[in-house]
Amino acid sequence: MKVPVRWLKELVPTELSAREIAERLTLAGLEVEAITEIGSTWDNIYVGVVERVEPHPNADRLVLATVDAGAHRLTVVTGAPNIAPGQKVALALPGATLYDGHSVEPKLITLKPSTIRGVRSEGMVCSEKELGLSDEHEGIMVLQADAPVGIPLREYLGDQVLELEITPNLVHAFSVVGVARELGALIGQRVRYPERAPLSVGGPEGLVTIEAPDLCYRFVGVVIEDVTVGPSPWWMQQRLQAAGMRPINNVVDITNYVMLEWGQPQHAFDRDRLREGRIVVRRARPGETLETLDGVLRELDPETLVIADAERPVGIAGVMGGLESEITDETRTVLLETANFEMRSIRRTARAQRLRTEASARFERGLDPNLAWEGATRAVALFQQLIPGCRVTAVVDIYPNPRLPRQLCMPRSEIPRLLGVDFPDEAVLDVFDRLEFQPELRQEDGQKVIVVQVPTYRSDVTIAADLVEEVARVIGYHELPEMLPLGRTVPVEISPELRLVRAVQDTLVAAGLSEVITYPMVDEAALRALLPGAATFPDHYGFYPRPERELVRALNPIRPEWAIMRPSLLPSLLRNAAENLKFNRAVAIFETGKVYLPRGLDELPDERRTLGCLLAGARHLRDLYHDERPVDYFDLKGVLEALLPRIGAPDMRFRPLAHPSLHPGRAAEVLVKGQPVGILGEVHPEVVEAFEIDPDIRVVFAEIDLQRLLELGLEPPRLRPVSRYQPVDQDFAVVVDEATPAAAVADAIMAGAGALAVSVRLFDIYRGPAIPAGKKSLAFRVTFSAPDRPLSDEELARLRERIEGHLRRRVKGELRR
Amino acid sequence: MPLLVCLLDGFARSRGRDGTGREVTVLSGAVEQIRLQALAELEQASTMAALAEWHGRYLGRRGELTQLMRRISQVPPEERPAYGQAVNALKEELTARFEQREAEVKRSELSQRLAAEAVDITLPGRAADVGGLHPVTQMIREVTTIFNHLGFQTVEGPEVEYGYYAFDALNIPQDHPARDVWDTIFIVSDQKEIVLRPHTSPMQIRTMERRQPPVRVVVPGRCYRFEAVDATHEWHFHQIEGLAVDEQITMADLKGTLAEFARQLFGHERKVRFRCDYFPFVEPGVDFAIDCMFCRGEGCRVCKGTGWIEILGAGMVHPQVLRNVGYDPERYTGWAFGMGVERLVMLKYGVPDIRLFYQGDLRFLAQFNRALP
Repeated sequence: MKVPVRWLKELVPTELSAREIAERLTLAGLEVEAITEIGSTWDNIYVGVVERVEPHPNADRLVLATVDAGAHRLTVVTGAPNIAPGQKVALALPGATLYDGHSVEPKLITLKPSTIRGVRSEGMVCSEKELGLSDEHEGIMVLQADAPVGIPLREYLGDQVLELEITPNLVHAFSVVGVARELGALIGQRVRYPERAPLSVGGPEGLVTIEAPDLCYRFVGVVIEDVTVGPSPWWMQQRLQAAGMRPINNVVDITNYVMLEWGQPQHAFDRDRLREGRIVVRRARPGETLETLDGVLRELDPETLVIADAERPVGIAGVMGGLESEITDETRTVLLETANFEMRSIRRTARAQRLRTEASARFERGLDPNLAWEGATRAVALFQQLIPGCRVTAVVDIYPNPRLPRQLCMPRSEIPRLLGVDFPDEAVLDVFDRLEFQPELRQEDGQKVIVVQVPTYRSDVTIAADLVEEVARVIGYHELPEMLPLGRTVPVEISPELRLVRAVQDTLVAAGLSEVITYPMVDEAALRALLPGAATFPDHYGFYPRPERELVRALNPIRPEWAIMRPSLLPSLLRNAAENLKFNRAVAIFETGKVYLPRGLDELPDERRTLGCLLAGARHLRDLYHDERPVDYFDLKGVLEALLPRIGAPDMRFRPLAHPSLHPGRAAEVLVKGQPVGILGEVHPEVVEAFEIDPDIRVVFAEIDLQRLLELGLEPPRLRPVSRYQPVDQDFAVVVDEATPAAAVADAIMAGAGALAVSVRLFDIYRGPAIPAGKKSLAFRVTFSAPDRPLSDEELARLRERIEGHLRRRVKGELRR
Repeated sequence: MPLLVCLLDGFARSRGRDGTGREVTVLSGAVEQIRLQALAELEQASTMAALAEWHGRYLGRRGELTQLMRRISQVPPEERPAYGQAVNALKEELTARFEQREAEVKRSELSQRLAAEAVDITLPGRAADVGGLHPVTQMIREVTTIFNHLGFQTVEGPEVEYGYYAFDALNIPQDHPARDVWDTIFIVSDQKEIVLRPHTSPMQIRTMERRQPPVRVVVPGRCYRFEAVDATHEWHFHQIEGLAVDEQITMADLKGTLAEFARQLFGHERKVRFRCDYFPFVEPGVDFAIDCMFCRGEGCRVCKGTGWIEILGAGMVHPQVLRNVGYDPERYTGWAFGMGVERLVMLKYGVPDIRLFYQGDLRFLAQFNRALP
C-alpha cells in the first residue's frame, strides 16, 4: 500500500522525516519496503503565475506566455491549448531536468533556452508528464489558485510515498487513517480525523434488501441526487495518483479516495440504470453473468455474492462493479454502496474470478463493519465539498448484528511471563491509552489484571498474547534483553539416520565425489526414458520396484517436468550429469536425497532416504601422471567398497543383475547381510542417450537405500587383536573356468584359511597359452597372521593345503605350480 | 701381495746380512710404514666401495693388522708387549679414521644423490581427488551444530505433508488470507488435503505431539512453494525450523538465542534487530535482522539501503497452537523460528542468484569445497 507522507502528516502532524516515520512503522510491524520521492528531479522549477498570453507572431498554434515566478520572470513559447492568464503553473528554468513529453519511455532531458519560430523561449511551462507525475501531456498542469508564487515546486508539490507491506493481520492499517493511528500511537500523538458529514437514516422501504445475511453483515446505502459528474479537483487527483490510483471522475474518485483514506471500499451506482432503482444483495443464480468494469464478461457461480438490482447482478460484491451501471457523464443520481462482506466468501470469489482488486484485498482480510458508517459519512462530506448542489435524499443502514468493542482481560503478569522483561504499570497503561484501548488496571482474585476495550477495527487483537505484542511493539522490541533459556535440558543426540547420512556424505567427499542437491520431481517422460527401446514403463525405477499405485503427483506443478515425486534418484542424477557434461569431462556426483514411494491415496508416501552416486565421462583427467580413461563399473564399485565397511556394512556382496536401465553385462545388485540394499551398474547406453548425453560416454550409477541399511542394523566396529608377529604373504595362482566369478574363488581361499587370512587380494588375471583354453588364472596375494604366535613353515604349508582343497571342491580350481 | 709380506721379504733379505738381532726393528718399522700407507690410501678412497675394499685390506680378518699381530711370535719376548701395544694402537687409530672417513663419504655420496634427484618443485602434484559438500548441506550442518551446542536436538520430518500439519494446526485456517503467504503445491489425494510442505513449521506440531515439554529441536529440510523462480526465489528450497517449549521460556530468551546464533554464524561484531512481524502461528511475532555486513549498516544494495538484513522470522508460539497439541498455554510458553538456508549461504558468501544452488553446476559447487565451515 502506498501512503503519501503529506497526507499522513495532515492526520498526524509531526516533524519526523519520511525515513524516521518509516523506521518507526517498520519496527512496529508495518514494514515500509520502500520510500519513493515525488519531485526528486525538480530542480529549477518554481510555482509561477501566468501574467499575459499573446499570440506568437509566426505561428498560429503557439502562444507567448509571460510567467512571473517571483525572482524570475520569463516569456516562454508554448503550444498548450489550456493556458490562460491568472493560472498558477509550474515554470521550469533553463537547467531544469524534465521528462521528455514526446517520448513513450520515460526519458529525462535538461531544459535549455531555445528559439521557436524566431522567438526566444527562456523556459517552459510544464505538463504533468514533463514533471513525471502522469502521462498527461495534452496541456500544461494548472496548479491550485492558492499556490504561493515563487516557491520551488518541490516545496509546494513534492512528496514522499511510503510503500507498506500489509501482512494479513493488518487490515486496520490498510488505509491512511489506519497508518496514522499506528504512527500516532507510536509517537504519542492523537490523530486528527478528516471531516465527515452528519447523516441520519431515512429512506424508502426496499431500497436495499439483503437476502444473504450470512455473507453481507452490513449495507449502508446513500442516494445522492443532482450530481454533476466531472473531473475531481486537482488535489484529489494528485493524492490518488500518489497512492497509485488513476483519477476517473469526481464520483468515482470520491469512493476511491475514501477507500484509501479509511480503508472502506465503496461503489457508486448510477441509480437510474438500476432496475426499479433498488439493490438486492444475494447469491448469484445459476447461469447469471455480469460484464464487470474491466470489460470482462464473467460467469457467476451460485457461491458468488452479488449486488443486484430488481432483476440482475450489477456488481460482484466486494470485488468489482458492473459496467452497465457505472457512473458516466450523464449520471444524475448516485446510489452509494458502503458495505461489509464475509471475508472468506470475497477471497474465494476473487480467486475464482482471478480478479484481485483494491476492494477485495481489503474485504478478504476482514474489515470492521463499523467502518462502513465512517466511510459513508466521509464520502458524503466529500460529495458536498466537491459537488455543490448535490443532495442526500435517502440513507439506509442494514446492520442486524452490530459489532461492539471487545473487552479483554489479561493478568498483569502475562507481560513478563511472555516477554522475559517487565515494564512499569504507567508505561503499559500508556501504550493501551495511545492505542485508544481505554485501559484499566484492576485487582481481581488477588492478582493485578489489565482490562481493555479493543476498538472494533482491531480485529487482530483477541487474546492476551495479542495485548502483550501491543505492549512490546509500541514500547519497542529493542527493549527486550538478550537472554538464554533457563531450565531443563533435553536429549540432543542425533538420530541414526542423520548420522548415517553425514558419514556417507563425508566418505564420498573424501572419495572424490561432489554432493549435488537436485529437484526431487521428475516427469513421465524422464521415467519412461529409464526404459530403453520399449513403450511400457520399467519394472524398476533404479533400486526400487515400480509401485503398484500411482506415483506421488502434484496437482499444480510449477512446470510439467516437475510433476511427479521421484521414485529413484537415477533420473535426477542423469539430468544433472547431462548438464555438467556440457562443461566438464569428468563428473563424479552423489546425492543423499529422498525417493517418494506411494502408499494409500490419502496417506503420506514412504519418503526413503537414498544414496545415489553417478560417475560419468573420464575418471581422471589426463595430467603428468595419469592417462585419461573412461569411468567404468569398477570405479564406482571401488567407491562402494570403501563406503560400505566404513558405515558398518562390512559384509557387502555383489550379485549379477538384469535391470532395464543398466548395461546387461555390467550391473549388480548390492547385498548387505544377504539382503538387497541397492544396485550398481553402468547405465544402458540407450538410457544415457535418452537423457541427452552422448551414448559413447560411459555413465555408472549406484543407488543404495540408506533406510534399508538402517533397518538391517549397521555393525559397530568389531575389534580383532592386533598381532605382534610378522605377517606372511603368500601368492596363490588359481586356474578356474572362465565363468567362475572371482569372488567365489576369493571366498574359497578365505574359507580355507579361516581366521588366519587377514586379507585376500586379487592382483592379476592371466589368460593365455600357459593355461588351458576356456580357463583363467587368478593370482591372489594372501596375508596370513595369527594374533598370538608367529606362523611356522609347517603351519603355512598346512594352510596352503587346506586352501587348495577348498579351491578344488568349491570352484574346481587348481593351483598353478 | 700384502704389504707386510713385501716388507718382510725385503727385511729378510737384509736380515741375511745383518743377522737375527734386527728383526724387531724391522717389524717396528713395518708397523709405521703400514700406518702411513693405510692413512694415505684411506684419504684416496672416495666411494663406499673403495672404503670397503680398504677396510678388508687393513682391518679385515686377513688384513694387514691381523698379519702384524700374528708375527708377534717372532718378536723377542721382552719386546712383545711394546710391539703388541703398537699394533693395537694402530688398529684403533685406523678404525677411528675409517669410521670418520666412512661418514664423510656417506654424506658426500648422499648429497650427490640428492643433488641428482632435484625436481622442478613447481610441477603440479599428483591429484588426490577430494569432492565437496553442497553449500546448502554445509550451511545446514553449521547452523544445526550451533543449535546443538545450545541444547537443541536435530530432527527431521516429512516433505509431503498433510494440510492439517502444514496449516490448520498452525492456526492458518482454510480460506484465510494468511494462506496466501504460502503459495502451495498440492499433491493429488482423495479426501485429505496433502501438500508439499511450504515450510518446516509442521514439525513444530509433529514434535510436540510426540513429546511433552521440555522441547528443544531444530529441523532442517526441503520445502516447496508454488512460486515463479527468479534470482531470489526458488520453488524448492531449504529451511531450518527451531522450537523451544517449556515453563519460563520467554521472548528475551528467543532474542538472546538468535543473537548468539547470528554472531556465531556471521561474526561476533554483528548487531541484531528484533522487529514486530506477523505469522499466524506465533504471537508476538518477530522479524530478526542483523546489521548489513556488506556496508556495516550504512545502507547498500544488499540491504536495500536500510542497513539491516532480515534473516529469519520468529515469535512466541501461539496459545492456539499449544492447545492444538494438547499443551496447556497457561503453564507452558515457547518460541519458534524459521530461516531460509539458501539465503544464509547467499549472504555469507555473496552468492548472487539462488538458482545456482539447484542447477547443480559443478563449477559453482566446487567453489565451496573446503573442510571447515
